[in-house]
Amino acid sequence: MKKQPSSLRLYIALTLLLIVLPGSAIKVYCGQQGVQAIITQAGRSVSAAPAADAAGGLPANLVQVHATHNGQPFWTETRKDKVRRFKCSQCHDNSTVTAENAAAVAHGDMVLEHGGAQKPLTCFTCHKEDQRDFFETQKGVVIDMDHVDELCGQCHFRQKRDWIGGAHGKRVGNWAGRRVVANCTACHDPHSPLFKKRWPATYALPLDKP
Amino acid sequence: MKPLHTPPAATPPKTCADARRRYGRRDFLKSAVQAAALCGAAAVTGCDPGQIQSGQIGLQWQEYFKKNYRLMTPLEKEATVRRLEQLAKLQRGIDIQIGTTEPVKEVLFGYAFNLTRCEGFMECVQACVRENNLDRASKTQYIRIFEMEPGQMSPESGNGQYFHEVPVDNHFYMGIQCFHCQNAPCVKACPTKATWMEPDGIVVVDYDWCIGCRYCMAACPYWGRRFNFNEPHVPEEEITRKQHYLGNRLRTRGMMEKCTFCIQRSRDGKLPACVAACPTGARIFGNLLDPDSEIRFVLKHKKVFRLKEDLGTDPKFWFFID
Amino acid sequence: MKKSMLREIYDFIKHGFILNLTGGLTYQLYLCGLVALMMIGAYAYSVQLRLGLAATNMSNIVSWGFYISNFTFLVGVAAAAVMLILPAYIFKDKDLHRVVIIGEGVAVGALVMCITFVFVDLGRPFKAWHLTPGIGILNWPSSLLSWDIIVLNGYLALNLLVPAYILFCQFNGRQPDPKKYRPFVFLSIFWAFAIHMVTAFLYEGLPARAFWNNPMMGPRFLASAFAAGPALITTVLVVVHAHTSFKIPVNTFNKLRLIIVISAIVNLIMLFSEIFKEFYFPTHHSLSATYLFFGLKGHDALVPWIWSAIACNVTGTLVLAFNPGGNKPLVLFPACILLFVGIWIEKGMGLIVPGLVPSPLGEVVSYAPSLVELGVTAGVFGVGIFVITVLVRPALVIEEKSHAAA
Repeated sequence: MKKQPSSLRLYIALTLLLIVLPGSAIKVYCGQQGVQAIITQAGRSVSAAPAADAAGGLPANLVQVHATHNGQPFWTETRKDKVRRFKCSQCHDNSTVTAENAAAVAHGDMVLEHGGAQKPLTCFTCHKEDQRDFFETQKGVVIDMDHVDELCGQCHFRQKRDWIGGAHGKRVGNWAGRRVVANCTACHDPHSPLFKKRWPATYALPLDKP
Repeated sequence: MKPLHTPPAATPPKTCADARRRYGRRDFLKSAVQAAALCGAAAVTGCDPGQIQSGQIGLQWQEYFKKNYRLMTPLEKEATVRRLEQLAKLQRGIDIQIGTTEPVKEVLFGYAFNLTRCEGFMECVQACVRENNLDRASKTQYIRIFEMEPGQMSPESGNGQYFHEVPVDNHFYMGIQCFHCQNAPCVKACPTKATWMEPDGIVVVDYDWCIGCRYCMAACPYWGRRFNFNEPHVPEEEITRKQHYLGNRLRTRGMMEKCTFCIQRSRDGKLPACVAACPTGARIFGNLLDPDSEIRFVLKHKKVFRLKEDLGTDPKFWFFID
Repeated sequence: MKKSMLREIYDFIKHGFILNLTGGLTYQLYLCGLVALMMIGAYAYSVQLRLGLAATNMSNIVSWGFYISNFTFLVGVAAAAVMLILPAYIFKDKDLHRVVIIGEGVAVGALVMCITFVFVDLGRPFKAWHLTPGIGILNWPSSLLSWDIIVLNGYLALNLLVPAYILFCQFNGRQPDPKKYRPFVFLSIFWAFAIHMVTAFLYEGLPARAFWNNPMMGPRFLASAFAAGPALITTVLVVVHAHTSFKIPVNTFNKLRLIIVISAIVNLIMLFSEIFKEFYFPTHHSLSATYLFFGLKGHDALVPWIWSAIACNVTGTLVLAFNPGGNKPLVLFPACILLFVGIWIEKGMGLIVPGLVPSPLGEVVSYAPSLVELGVTAGVFGVGIFVITVLVRPALVIEEKSHAAA
C-alpha cells in the first residue's frame, strides 16, 4: 500500500505526456502555410522555367499582340497564313464578276450565324468592303487580319479583357517562357462562333465491379 | 545457388554485426536473403517465369532493393532510370526515356477550371490517358467530368457517366482530378512516405516505394487516386516514350497512381496534356508565384471557389464561373 | 541440480509441442480441419498473388473490403484481453486470474490474424519491408497506419512475453517474480486501450469520410471490443469447460457476463446516439448511414446484414443481461455467439464499406467479397484459431499442474 504514491506519480506523468505529445503535433501541423499566404507573400518571380522556350512546342509564325497584360507583351499565332485563299484581294479586286454563281462557289460552305436573330451580322459588319484584306470596326478603324482580337473585342470586350489576362482562351504550348495564346479564330469559327454539339471523345466505365 | 552479388571482402564476415558493419545495412540485407529470395524473384517482380532472361533478373533484383526516390543520390537516380529503361527494352522491346527533372525554383503550380466554358467533350480525359500511359484494361482515368444540373454545385449530384451528345442544354460540366492539396491528407496518411508534395506543389507517388495499402485512397476527399488492381496494359504503339520517374512511367499492379499535372511536361515548361487538349480553353494552368501568370489573373479577377474547402485540404485547383 | 537456461527453454518448447500433438481423435480431427482451412487460404492467396488484388471484389471506390473489416474487428478482440488482465493482475481477482491465460492466448491469436489480414490486403506484399525503420521508412508519427503497426506488434510482443514468462516459471516449478512481469502487465493495459484507440483513429482521422470522421469512433470501438472480446473468451471457456479437465467456476462466467453486458449496453447506447445523429436531421454526411441501414440508389446489399446484426446484438445483450440460465454455459454459449456475430458484422463490413460508399464524388456501388477473399479470410481465421489452440492447450495443462502442486 505504501507503493501507491509513486505509481500515482507515474500515472500523472504519463497522462501529461499523453496531453503534451498530441499538443505539440497539432502545433507543428497548424504551423503550415496555406496557398493563399504563399501567394500573397510571393514577390515577382525570376525567370521561371528558363529553358521552356528551348523545349519547343511553340507555333512557327507568331505576331505580338498590341495589348499587354501587366505591361508584359504576349503573342498569338498569325492568321493570314492560315486562311486558304488569302489574299482576298486576288479575287475581290473591284472588277466585274463574270463567273456564274461566283459567290456560291467561293463561299458557299460558309454559314453566318453570328449576332443572333435580333442583330444578325452581315459580311461587312467585319470585313472592310473596299479593302478586302482587312477588317474594319464599327468606328471605322482598319484592322489587320493577324490582329483579329481587336475586331472581336469591340463587342466582346469582356472576353477580350479576360483573354488578355488569361482567363478566356488558351495558352499554346508552354506555361512558362514566352507567352503565346491562341487567337479568337483559332477556337471559334468567326462566322458561327458557338461550339457545335458533338459526342464526347471518350467515356467513363461504370465503377461497379461486374 | 550462386549469389549474384559478390561481397567486396575476401574473407567471409564472421558475425551478423560484422557483416552489417562491412557492407552497410542494405547490402547486408541483400546478401542475407539473396539465396532464398532468388527463386521468389519472379513472383516479387510479377513477371512470368517463362519470360525471365538472364540480365533481366539481375536488373529486377537491383530494382527490388532500391531506395525511396527522395533518398536517392543523383547517381542512384541515374542508375535506376537506366535499369528501368533497360528493363523496358528487354521486356517490351521499346525505347523509353525516363527523366528525373528536378522542380524549377520559384514555381508553385496551380490550376483553374472554368465551369462556364467546359462543354463536356472529354478531350482532356482522352489526352490524359494517352499521355500518362493509363491502364487500358480497366480503363483507368484520372480526370472525371460530371454533367451537372443547374442549381447544384456538388459533383455528388452530377452524372459522371454520361455518353451522349454534349453539351446538353441547361447543363454544365465539372472536371475533377487530383487537386494537389497544399495540405494533402494522402501525404499524411501514407505509412511509408511513398507519396509527398514536391517543392513545386505537385503531389507525387514513388510507384516503386508504394506497398499498396490504399490508406491514401481512403484519405482523399476528392477521389483523386487510382489503384492498379490488375496488371495495367498499354498497347505498345500507344506508349508515351518520354517519361518521368514520378510521372507517366509504366506502372505494374499493386501500386497507387494519380494525376501529376503531367510532371514530365510541366517541369519542362509545357502545359499538362489536359490543358493542351482542352478545345474550349476551360483549363488554366500556371505558376502561382508569378503575378503575371494566367492562374493569378483568374484568382484576382474571377470569383473562384474550391471543392470541399471546409476540409482544410487547401487544394491548388480552383473552379470559376465566367 | 540446476539446468541451464537454454536447456530449460528447450524443454519448455518441446513440452509444448508434445502437449499440442497428443490428444484424442476429436482433437486430431479438429487440427486437421484447421490445417484444411489454412490450405484453402494458402491456395486462395496464391491466386491473389498471381492476379493481384483484381482477384478480390475491391475497386477504386470500395478500396478496403473484407480483409480490413475483419482486421478492424479482430483488433477489438485482441484489445479485450485487457478486460481479464486488468482485474486479474491489478485487482487480484481469483476467478478471472484462473482464465487470464486464455484471454491472452485469444489476444495473441487475434493479433496474428490482424497482422495477417493487413498483410494480405497489401497490393505489393513483397515490398512490406519498406515499413521497417532503418532499411525502409516508417512515416511515424504522421501516418496513423504507422502507429497501428507499432502498437499491434508491441501488443503482440507483450501478450506473448508475459504469459510465456509466467508459464515458463510455473513449468520449471518456480514462482514467477511479480517485479519482473508486473511493469509489462501495466504497460499491456495501457497498450490494449492504445491498439484499439489507434485503430479507431485510423478511420476517425480521415475528414474525407464523414461516416468515420466521428469522435464517437474511439469509445465505440472500445465498448464493442469489450463486449465482443469477452464474448469470444466466454465461448472458448465454454468449450474448454466442456471438453477438457480444466473446469471453469460459475463465478468466472458470471464476472465475464457482467463485463460483456455493461460493454454491450454502452455500445448499444452509442449506436443509438449515432443513429439519432444520422437520421434526425439527415445531411449529405448521412448518406453512408442511409446506404448501410436502408440502401441507396438501389444498392442495398448491406441492409439485411446490419439489421440482423442489430437483432443479434440486442438479443444477445438482453439474454446476457437477464441471465435466464443462471450462468449455465448452455445459455451463455449461444448468447455470446449471437453478440459476437452481431458485433462482427456491425464493426466489420458494417463499418468499413459504408465509410467508402458513397465515394467522395457521390458514386454508390455494391460490394461483396469474392471467393478468393472468402478463401483467404478462412485461411487467416484458420491460422488464428490454430495459434490460439497451440498456445492455450499447453498453457492450461501447465497451469493446472502448477495449481495442483500448490
